[in-house]
Amino acid sequence: MAVADATSGKDEQELQLASQWRLMWWAFRRHKLAVVGGTIVLLFYFIALFCEFLSPFDPESTGARDVYHPPQMLRLIYEKEDGGWGFGPHVRAMTQKRDPFTLETTFEPDPGNLIFISFLAKGTPYKLWGIIPLERRLFTASKVGEKFFLLGADRLGRDMLSRILYGARVSMTIGLVGVAISLTLGITLGGVSGYFGGRVDAIIQRLVELILALPTIPIWLGLSASLPQDWSPLTRYFAITAILSLVGWTELARVVRGRFLALRTEDFVVAARLDGASRARVIGRHMAPAMASHIIASVTLAIPLMIIAETSLSFLGLGLQPPLISWGVLLREAQNVQSIAQAPWLFIPGIAVVVAVLSLNFLGDGMRDAADPYAQGQSA
Amino acid sequence: MLAVYIVRRILWSIPFFFAASLVAFALIQAPPGDYITSFAASLAASGDIVDADRLEALRTRYGLDQPFIVQYWRWITGVIQGDFGISFEWQQPVSQLIWERMGLSLALAFGTLTFTWAVALPLGIFSAVKKYTIGDYLMTTIGFIGLATPNFLIALVMMYIAVVYFGADVSGLFSPEYQQAPWSFARFVDLLKHIWLPIAVLGLSATASLMRIMRANLLDELQKPYVTTARAKGLSEFRLLMKYPVRIALNPFVSTIGWAFPQLVSGAVITAVVLSLPTAGPLMLQALLAQDMYLAGAFILLLCCLSIVGMLVSDILLALVDPRIRFR
Amino acid sequence: MVAVPAIAYAEFKEAPDLAAKANAGELPSVTERLPADPEVLDLGSVGQYGGELRFGLRGSSDHNHILRMVSPQGLVRWDPQYTELIPNIAKSYDVNDDATEFTFTLHDGMKWSDGEPFTADDILFNINDLVLNEDYAPTPPRYMAGGEPLTIEKIDDLTVKFTFAAPYGDFLAELASPLGQHPVLYAKHYCSQFHPDHADDIAAVISENNAADWQNLFQQKCGDIEIPSRWGNPDRPTLDPWVVVEPYTGGATRVVMDRNPYFWQVDSEGHQLPYIDRLVAPIAQDAESLVLQIIGGNIDFALRHIDAPANRPVLAQNREAGDYKFFEARPVGGVNMVINLNLASKNPDLRALFNERDFRVALSHGINREEIIETALLGQGQPWQGGPFEDHPNYHERLATQFLEHNPDRANALLDGLGLERGSDGSRQMANGEPLRFSIDVIPTLAPEQVDMLEMISRQWADLGVQMDVNPMERTFFYERTSNSNDHDAAVWGAAVSFVPGEIPQQIVPVHHDSRWGIPWSHWYNSGGTEGEEPPESVKARMALYDQAKATADPAKRLAIIHEIADIAADEFEVFAVSKATPRFGIVKNDLRNVPESMPRSWYYATPGPTLPQIWFWDN
Repeated sequence: MAVADATSGKDEQELQLASQWRLMWWAFRRHKLAVVGGTIVLLFYFIALFCEFLSPFDPESTGARDVYHPPQMLRLIYEKEDGGWGFGPHVRAMTQKRDPFTLETTFEPDPGNLIFISFLAKGTPYKLWGIIPLERRLFTASKVGEKFFLLGADRLGRDMLSRILYGARVSMTIGLVGVAISLTLGITLGGVSGYFGGRVDAIIQRLVELILALPTIPIWLGLSASLPQDWSPLTRYFAITAILSLVGWTELARVVRGRFLALRTEDFVVAARLDGASRARVIGRHMAPAMASHIIASVTLAIPLMIIAETSLSFLGLGLQPPLISWGVLLREAQNVQSIAQAPWLFIPGIAVVVAVLSLNFLGDGMRDAADPYAQGQSA
Repeated sequence: MLAVYIVRRILWSIPFFFAASLVAFALIQAPPGDYITSFAASLAASGDIVDADRLEALRTRYGLDQPFIVQYWRWITGVIQGDFGISFEWQQPVSQLIWERMGLSLALAFGTLTFTWAVALPLGIFSAVKKYTIGDYLMTTIGFIGLATPNFLIALVMMYIAVVYFGADVSGLFSPEYQQAPWSFARFVDLLKHIWLPIAVLGLSATASLMRIMRANLLDELQKPYVTTARAKGLSEFRLLMKYPVRIALNPFVSTIGWAFPQLVSGAVITAVVLSLPTAGPLMLQALLAQDMYLAGAFILLLCCLSIVGMLVSDILLALVDPRIRFR
Repeated sequence: MVAVPAIAYAEFKEAPDLAAKANAGELPSVTERLPADPEVLDLGSVGQYGGELRFGLRGSSDHNHILRMVSPQGLVRWDPQYTELIPNIAKSYDVNDDATEFTFTLHDGMKWSDGEPFTADDILFNINDLVLNEDYAPTPPRYMAGGEPLTIEKIDDLTVKFTFAAPYGDFLAELASPLGQHPVLYAKHYCSQFHPDHADDIAAVISENNAADWQNLFQQKCGDIEIPSRWGNPDRPTLDPWVVVEPYTGGATRVVMDRNPYFWQVDSEGHQLPYIDRLVAPIAQDAESLVLQIIGGNIDFALRHIDAPANRPVLAQNREAGDYKFFEARPVGGVNMVINLNLASKNPDLRALFNERDFRVALSHGINREEIIETALLGQGQPWQGGPFEDHPNYHERLATQFLEHNPDRANALLDGLGLERGSDGSRQMANGEPLRFSIDVIPTLAPEQVDMLEMISRQWADLGVQMDVNPMERTFFYERTSNSNDHDAAVWGAAVSFVPGEIPQQIVPVHHDSRWGIPWSHWYNSGGTEGEEPPESVKARMALYDQAKATADPAKRLAIIHEIADIAADEFEVFAVSKATPRFGIVKNDLRNVPESMPRSWYYATPGPTLPQIWFWDN
């Protein structure tokens, strides 16, 4: 019955011949939220890949008259000067006023002054991935020199939308790269430890415990403070990722080991071993897939933890630093009373983090259920 | 057999303690420069001309010119005799500085842990039982918003709201009149008035992950044949849940409880800075930044000890619960 | 001879709580507690006793904040306008014609906060047993002239004479700065018990207090000017208006100071000061929570940590809720960020380039100062290269205003003239074919707007084909790299100066660790030529002039020498900047009286110390 649920529309024969991966895909598709989550995650990585093209402006370009510019509403229909109606994406311009004593900036609508938005228009030139020189952007102001702020501007009048899009590149990859490092370390050591047991296990377990026993802040601080001060931002980025994952892998190793210990006595493992399969084959072929669900669940939880950890490190002034843009760097810049009071839109990178984390989680959930041989979907 | 395991485990922790202390000491020493450098920097910041001879004299006096291993030996032998050394920055024995802070840290961690468990377990069970319902998604979403938003940001926003809209001063752990007062019932009540904010802020992020783990574990259990059997036999859904699946799903928690505690203490550092809590975190952080090494070392070592004891406890508990691990 | 007139009072008046104690016999009467001729402060209005003053401390490295609130407690102090030196703990002073002998007369009957008399012996104790005691610490340069340490002589119980081997016109100004408080910091009767030359069994006292050695013991008990433990021992007698009750230690959550019953100043009607009963300073770890405390109305006076322009809108919005108003802390002169290219860089290519005056002029012309001021400084500022403002007697026009305009064409022409060819991507290359690229070190936490300014400059210079990376780092690393090991390409620092005595003009002559454009030269100067690197002739000439200026007691002559240094510095154009230092704003409660609406902001003045918080009072 459950099979029919999971694979409705497939006939019996197709089902029997389907490979394990195909079965998983069918099961995965069933979880609507997981599909939505997966789509969003893909979208975020797409943004990370093409952020230069997608952002309307240079994220570093400042503007004296745009300091703390509030978000503008995107509009489509406008009144022409001759009284007729026009159609085209635009925003209404605003002018800045600053109180000379309190230094408070306020923005007032500048009636009649519209800023039009064009798609695939020429904007400020940029280099895609730092290599390919291009001028066209997905959308930007029609008139060169004009600017609009769909998500507001920061204290230097920089476009937050562009900054968030650029931030996706660092933040989304820092999670991915970091988790990849953690995962490799964690699975290798955890697997070895869990499979062999005995002395090897004891040594690896003590190593894991040693790292777990040390509070994380001193580890981060000690390591990131010892990075040479004149490294380029990119080198620093990789170093910081490595430091973050150094702390992260232990948790995975523990999970993996626990599952291995439990799995060792499972019938199918014993059967494989009795069949004369080599150790490597038993670990790689039979035990690892059986743990996929747990690993996936841990990974989806680990990526956001890395993203958050990066923000914490930035908070301490030891993580990534401007001019590098990550969500953590953006949030750190918003971490003050005047942002809450004057420019709450500076917290939008926080929403980006939340959405990314939620999507990753839903995706992971779906994958976990799909990969689990015991999952209800296939347990008929 | 169990007794042998426990004794072996305890004996293990002794070399382990020294290894941890060595790594901790190395971490403190890892950044370039030493306390004298940071002392010179702070003098320089106020415009004093710092004399190189004076710094060299200080360095010799504090023994900072000795090789690493000599410094470590001096420190660890002192620690074993109960002497944690002198805090360079405060010119005070370290032991005078750490205990009250550690105490408040532990109280905070305990409160957070209780809060987290009280919230996360029922919600985790709920969202496993009502898998893929609106309620499940709602829980997951709220939990993950808590996990996804950096603690320091939530802390600041909540403080701002409390001050601007409710006129309440929520920073610190005590109101001014109780700060130096001896412990009394009124002081305790005052503590409760302040401690909810850090507990909520810290608990929010821990709750999400705990809830997810609980949900995942319980889902695994609920699919096992014995649950179906029990259900078929007409056991009430609540008893069915509580009798075995929940208890087994709790197993992994047992294995984490040992280090959840120390992790909470050190994880609270940044939140404690934002909320100006008089806990161990801010003092440790500033000692690390100033390279006030004996003070930083004492905190790290204490946290390590907590973890070691915690792991010991959870391993023993685990061995009691799950015989497979004991007889490997 | 300079002295403040003293008026004798038949009867002095005191705070009610002290009067009660005196009546109960727990304290001597106010007449016995005050000197026979107390200093009479005739500033502001006569106040009333009572109340607390709350100010916010931070958990680490904020000890100088306390110093600022109870200062100035040197032998002499600055007047509130920061223009003139006046006697303080000394009743009067006398300087001989060539500025080698300084004689101070003390108030008769002045007492430490524990009631013991303050005499010449206390000053002698400090100079002979500590300042000149190599076993305690090497003698600070402040107490030396012509390479020789000072000598001290007790004329009588109330008179001491400091003698220097060479003229030292700046000595009085040094004594007025916070760092010159040594001679009157230590009560001999108390602190001598922690000194090996005076204590009977120093080893016993050391072990009793868990100290490492006597120096550590001494600092633990008696403190030093600039270390937290100065405020860590409630038993230490002081001459301050308030004395520590709840100390500033690593574990503290607040600091409390009560009025000193033996404080030695009175108001014009004979009321013993201070008016305010106690200072209470809650300790916050984060500056943001300090801002929130102010908004919540829980802080009475604040300047430090919260005076960044960025905080002003939110503080302004909540003035009514928090019941406070702004006061101005005006800069003494100079700039809030000076750019120091490292003219003695370890990188030979950069060094050669930085030493080209045309290169520096080009970079200066490449900065769009108006744009930066409007954006990063919220419109607060005016293009400026350095030195005192127009209205200051020490103003030097060329130093302050040359090469200010944003002129990319001229900048590009100058760079082309130096043979810096542009590559295919528009960025310039050095003679060796390497791209022209350097980094500027900055501390993001001290003044966040510096990073913003640098990021804007980086883009403006990129238009010239010059690549500059902003390199933010933590304070200790910054200091180690830029002031010590000279590993930096370039660095920025604040330079609020007006060339008055006591200030070090480090941006026009490299004699200080803040002279980040020639650190090896400053090492050479400060070590007497044994360390560092011998500077070029123009720098050496300025160093000689600076020595002369320090020795000169006559203000007009001193200024002429300083301007001579400034002339050379303006010719060389070694450093440049963006904007004038801008006024900062602190907050003060509406009911707190006698707080000036404007005060100078400087460490040498130790704001707000010389405005004398002991005369502030609550009007309610």
